Amino acid sequence: MEGAQEELERRSKFLKSLIQKKKTIEQQEQHDHLQHNNVRVRACDMPLPLQNRAFRCARDLLDSMPSKKLDSKRLALTLKKEFDTSYGPAWHCIVGTSFGSYVTHSFGGFVYFSIDKVYVLLFKTAVEPLDHS
Amino acid sequence: MSEEAKKNFAGALTARPNSDEPKPAPVPAVPPKKVIIKSADMIPDMQKEAVDIAVAAFEKYNVEKDVAEQIKKEFDKRHGPTWHCIVGRNFGSYVTHETNHFVYFYLDQKAVLLFKSG
Repeated sequence: MEGAQEELERRSKFLKSLIQKKKTIEQQEQHDHLQHNNVRVRACDMPLPLQNRAFRCARDLLDSMPSKKLDSKRLALTLKKEFDTSYGPAWHCIVGTSFGSYVTHSFGGFVYFSIDKVYVLLFKTAVEPLDHS
Repeated sequence: MSEEAKKNFAGALTARPNSDEPKPAPVPAVPPKKVIIKSADMIPDMQKEAVDIAVAAFEKYNVEKDVAEQIKKEFDKRHGPTWHCIVGRNFGSYVTHETNHFVYFYLDQKAVLLFKSG
């Protein structure tokens, strides 16, 4: 009986250390990824895959813009449409170099990041069914 | 001789406070802010309300985030949740809003976006 208890504890510790290692590796990879794309997360309540989707989308569009001048409206539209399509409505996006905001968002649907010299606010709100009365 | 020098010095000191008294200047009137409604899907009364609340918020706060907070909370209170507000000099946006609950206007150089969603 005592032997079994010790074995369980040993396995438990091993699993915990594995989980911790995995987390550390994931965090390092995310950090490297962000630095590579010149992205900095300012505030966030969003699963990692969605974050990365937003960063990649923004990076791709900024790289594709011929002029150096920022097209805020186009980036906002692109991000909003991509997220509405992929993760359901309704998403809202604000892009610019100088703004403040105060919004209420759905759980897990909020990210505020900077990429190059532009700031991006992307958040989701619950959509109520249309009232046909 | 040295005594005279001391007295003169003291006299000079006593004279200085008088010259430092500040004169009350008349306070100039604050010119009204220029309002431009850029885009709206909102009844006129509510638009005016948004502008009035924004004007008051700009007088009270300096930080854009605080101005946005004041406006959003006031509208949540008066017209029910959930409102969102963005304030700033440079931004573009794309949002989904409820019918008749969207306004985008300028107060001098600052833009204000206020809409209801969710």
